[in-house]
Amino acid sequence: MMDVRKEFETIVKAAEQLGTDASRFLDKRFASIVISGNRVIGLNNVPGLRLIHEPIEHGVKVDIEIDDGAEIPLPVHVCTGYVEKKGYQRIIFNIHVGKRAKVKFVAHCVFPQVEEFTHEAISNVLLEEGAYMEYSDEHYHSDAGTIILKTTTNATVRKNGVYKNEFHLTKTRVGKLDVRMFLTLEDYSVGELVSKVRASKDDEVSINEVVHLNGEAARGLAKTVVVGLDRARVNVVNEAYGNAPHSRAHISCEEITKGSEVVVSTTPILKITNDLAELTHEASIGRVNQKQLETLMAKGLTEDEATDLVIKGLLV
Amino acid sequence: MLILKDVTYRTLNKEILKTLNMEFLPGTKYVILGTNGAGKSTIGYVIMGLEGYKPSEGRIFLDGRDITDLSVTERAKLGITLMWQEPARFDGITVETYLTLGGRLGVSKSEVQEALEFVGLDPALYLNRMVDKTLSGGERKRVELASLLLLKPRYAILDEPDSGIDLMSLDMINNVINYIAQYGGTPIVITHREEMAYNTEYGYLICAGMILKSGKTQDVIADFRGTCEVCKHPNLPVNGELK
Repeated sequence: MMDVRKEFETIVKAAEQLGTDASRFLDKRFASIVISGNRVIGLNNVPGLRLIHEPIEHGVKVDIEIDDGAEIPLPVHVCTGYVEKKGYQRIIFNIHVGKRAKVKFVAHCVFPQVEEFTHEAISNVLLEEGAYMEYSDEHYHSDAGTIILKTTTNATVRKNGVYKNEFHLTKTRVGKLDVRMFLTLEDYSVGELVSKVRASKDDEVSINEVVHLNGEAARGLAKTVVVGLDRARVNVVNEAYGNAPHSRAHISCEEITKGSEVVVSTTPILKITNDLAELTHEASIGRVNQKQLETLMAKGLTEDEATDLVIKGLLV
Repeated sequence: MLILKDVTYRTLNKEILKTLNMEFLPGTKYVILGTNGAGKSTIGYVIMGLEGYKPSEGRIFLDGRDITDLSVTERAKLGITLMWQEPARFDGITVETYLTLGGRLGVSKSEVQEALEFVGLDPALYLNRMVDKTLSGGERKRVELASLLLLKPRYAILDEPDSGIDLMSLDMINNVINYIAQYGGTPIVITHREEMAYNTEYGYLICAGMILKSGKTQDVIADFRGTCEVCKHPNLPVNGELK
């Protein structure tokens, strides 16, 4: 078993592969938490924000409290890692953003050398009235493709709150991925759920984004961009429920396929229980748009180069 | 020299181009003029070799080499490029990445900045803009013109280069066209507006997929005025012939 220092270095180094500035985990101006396996090996709080952790079976539970009116000036860095080759990790985040508070999270999940590993993450998020929160979650996996990743987010946004949640797994193999995001929007609140995944070889991806428009004039977006390559299996179901007057939501599912054995399905589900609500969707599955390809090919790129460039853009 | 020899292009139901013979000399500015639906853009697509636009009959030659069966990329590598009337949009790709083709074009940042300035886009504002729907039609078109400056193609097909761009910017477009001709390239302007033709030297007047007139631009424009602008049946030949 590695010592804590070595674990920290391994995890932070892997996070650097995702483009993060690792020095931020040591910079006292940034709130941060570094979790390895079932231990917290780095922690820094800043005024207005408290990260409180406790061990649970196979993992860690972290309560994150942002005080009413607190505006956290710099992103909160959350790094979750696992440095062993086999195992199971369970992480629970309970995030409470106080009234009119403002916070941005940058999360990195790094599993650089796992072989038989299951990671389960559950985030329970509550934004109080007028609160603002962004959560960007990026993953870095080993190339083994044997990881099982289950991530579930339950978020409620009170009146006038704004919540944005992005999940990215675009730079490494996926393994088996199960993303579930459930968002409840109250009066005049705004919420966005975005998932971007690049699945290759035998990767299996399941994404379910659900938006409940429960408050008047609430606005929501559930967006998925998945690139399925080789023999990847991808299933996307995005749902929106218009339950309140003048609420609006849009579902966008864009699935790009390349590979004769890739299987991708996408299902938008829209349901209205209030006739003043408005729901829309757009969904597409297929190769990269021919005009985009030919535009780049007419400048000298090969079809593969053009495809790569278009895909990289979609997954930004 | 780029040559279209007896090029016919037909879809299942219709003959779009009919036995076209065209020549484009290096360093010379050309116009392909005609009303909407005449087949002008199709000529551009056939020259570029886009999917579904292989000539049904006839061949295309570049410097004596038959390029009819070459791919779009292969034609581009030989120096042919096309600027679409409605250029494609790209989510997540910045103007800088697009213009450098993700770094593959081998141009410096200062060259990119210079090209943007040439087409009237402030590099400080546009280098990091996305080439997506947030650009207006005119802005997108200008990015495409900047791309031509950086690519320095031997044969640049500009399909309706002024569409979406304000009339005041006609000089800028003509400057791009002149720049291409100055280094020995051949701009081929496809347009239905005679104003866009003024800056060219030679041209083809197209109607119903046929060449109605070829020669010096002023002669082509004269025929366009005398024939097409007053025509009551554009792209519909009378008794099988153009009148």
